Amino acid sequence: MAASTVIELREVKRHYVMGPTVVRAVDGVSLDIAAGEFVSIIGPSGSGKSSLMNIIGCLDTPTEGSYVINGEPVQGLSRGRLAEIRNREIGFVFQSFNLLPRLSALENVELPLVYAGLPARERRERAAAMLAKVGLEGREAHLPAELSGGQRQRVAIARALAGRPSVLLADEPTGALDQKTGVEIMAMFAELNAEGSTIVIVTHDLAIARQAARAVRVLDGRVVSDGPGKEVA
Amino acid sequence: MSLFAVRESAAMALRSIKGNAGRSFLTTLGVLIGAGALVALTALGNGASLAVEESLRSLGSNLLIAYSGQPRGTALVRRNTSNISPTISAADLEAIRALPGVVMAAPESSANVQAKFESRNASVSAVGTDHQYPLIRNAATASGEFFTEADVETRRMVAALGSKAAADLFGPDVDPLGQRVRLNGQPFTVVAVMRSKGNDTTDNQVYVPISAFLRVISGGTKYQAVNVQAESMEALRELQSSIESELLRLHGLPSMDAADFYIANQLDVLGAAQGTAGAFTLLLGGIAAISLVVGGIGIMNIMLVSVTERTREIGVRMALGAKPGDVLLQFLTEAVILSASGGALGVAAGVGAAWAFGRFGGMAAAVSPGSVALALGFSLVTGLFFGGYPAFRASRLDPIEALRYE
Repeated sequence: MAASTVIELREVKRHYVMGPTVVRAVDGVSLDIAAGEFVSIIGPSGSGKSSLMNIIGCLDTPTEGSYVINGEPVQGLSRGRLAEIRNREIGFVFQSFNLLPRLSALENVELPLVYAGLPARERRERAAAMLAKVGLEGREAHLPAELSGGQRQRVAIARALAGRPSVLLADEPTGALDQKTGVEIMAMFAELNAEGSTIVIVTHDLAIARQAARAVRVLDGRVVSDGPGKEVA
Repeated sequence: MSLFAVRESAAMALRSIKGNAGRSFLTTLGVLIGAGALVALTALGNGASLAVEESLRSLGSNLLIAYSGQPRGTALVRRNTSNISPTISAADLEAIRALPGVVMAAPESSANVQAKFESRNASVSAVGTDHQYPLIRNAATASGEFFTEADVETRRMVAALGSKAAADLFGPDVDPLGQRVRLNGQPFTVVAVMRSKGNDTTDNQVYVPISAFLRVISGGTKYQAVNVQAESMEALRELQSSIESELLRLHGLPSMDAADFYIANQLDVLGAAQGTAGAFTLLLGGIAAISLVVGGIGIMNIMLVSVTERTREIGVRMALGAKPGDVLLQFLTEAVILSASGGALGVAAGVGAAWAFGRFGGMAAAVSPGSVALALGFSLVTGLFFGGYPAFRASRLDPIEALRYE
């Protein structure tokens, strides 16, 4: 069913010209991710997984090949249009949380809704509901510095969910957390996936990748294996 | 760019300014001083211009003066007229009075004389004129009555003393009215003391009937000058040329190049004075505007620092859906709020300073609404212009690079 395909990469290449050499960071990746999937993209550093993630996240566009997100092709779009697509389709979760330090938890969660142009009252209501969903009811007014690492990442997840994106795109989401908190965060992703969210986690950590239903292994800019998460090695 | 976006960026900008209150204030200081200087300095320039205008108007309204001799300087009222050899006759005066557009005309001749009352002496300027002189020259008496037309016709030996001359001769304790003073030895009865005009030269004059002046002080029959009041300021130049042609005809002269008289009118003198004061105001305003620009450079500098410091924030905002335009607007708004609030505070400071100049510095200062508008407008434009480049740089950041920035 084509309609349920959220991410559709066809022979995607991303080459960087660095002086006389051409770096083939992504070198012909074709990948389909359907709505409701829980996918991990795994690879060592330098494998091209970050470049692939930037393309999936519409922070970058392919040099060659086609990328269609939720039915919309992204080739040749302006920076402004890409920003709109990021706002609507992608919920980012970063390794280092990337909360704005001067904004309260609630205001951080509101941010994507500000850029979506929602009125203030609706924004606040939706952001508060998202914070409640990640178990941070009552912490709305806290600044990021007043929260623990796990709580900060949960604020970030609430922020990623606030715009009701097609895909939750997480880049090493447990990389800055201790083991126990990492487990909690992964449990939260599993729970969100069970509720229907499409989740893509980019990681170099096999233990994390195995928790996804499907694992895509990337090496030298190509997909080298694509199968159930438990079987990845 | 919607109203919504502007409101959101204003909210963001205010938050960032509040978060950096000390630095923000220092940043606005440049614009504050520039705007304040613009308002205060142009107020001084304006005040000077108004003071010149005021002093010129105090000479009389719609005034022109026909002088004997050749033009000397640009002043309307010549400081020293005692050395002019008179060329204007009583017939000339009557002809001027008969011209259309002339309200009044009064003759004037003067000489430096020794004034004496009992044992006191003073050097004064004796001015021979008639009863219309105080009306034309806006002079009022402090006590007594100025001499009358009848006094002029009968050559009465009476005098109206300028306030300084009266004070020098009589001191504070003696009432000059009815006393007899001697001017170059000739006895005159004091009939009036004039109100001070705030000008020592004028206040040191002693007015006597022109008929008596010619008879006992200067000799001769002609006048050094004629003061003329026109119907209106606008009619001054036209009246000047009709007086010129009338006097040329009476004196049998071909053109003003050969004339033995010249005419100065209030309008032209006022114009020249205002031109000078205007240039002065422009100069001061220009200096102030430069400091406003320097303030703008300060804002640009701090905004560039701010963009660099907040690179990661910009990356996060972009990842979450901020378009380049949103980022541009956010930083531009911040710069404009900084410069505009600096401008507003500066205007307040400038108005305060102008008031203080007037109150404590004894300077004439008049804040013009134009300079306030200019200072506010200029600081706004400064913010837009100098905030533009840093904001543009912020909007051009690559989100991937920005997110990686430590």
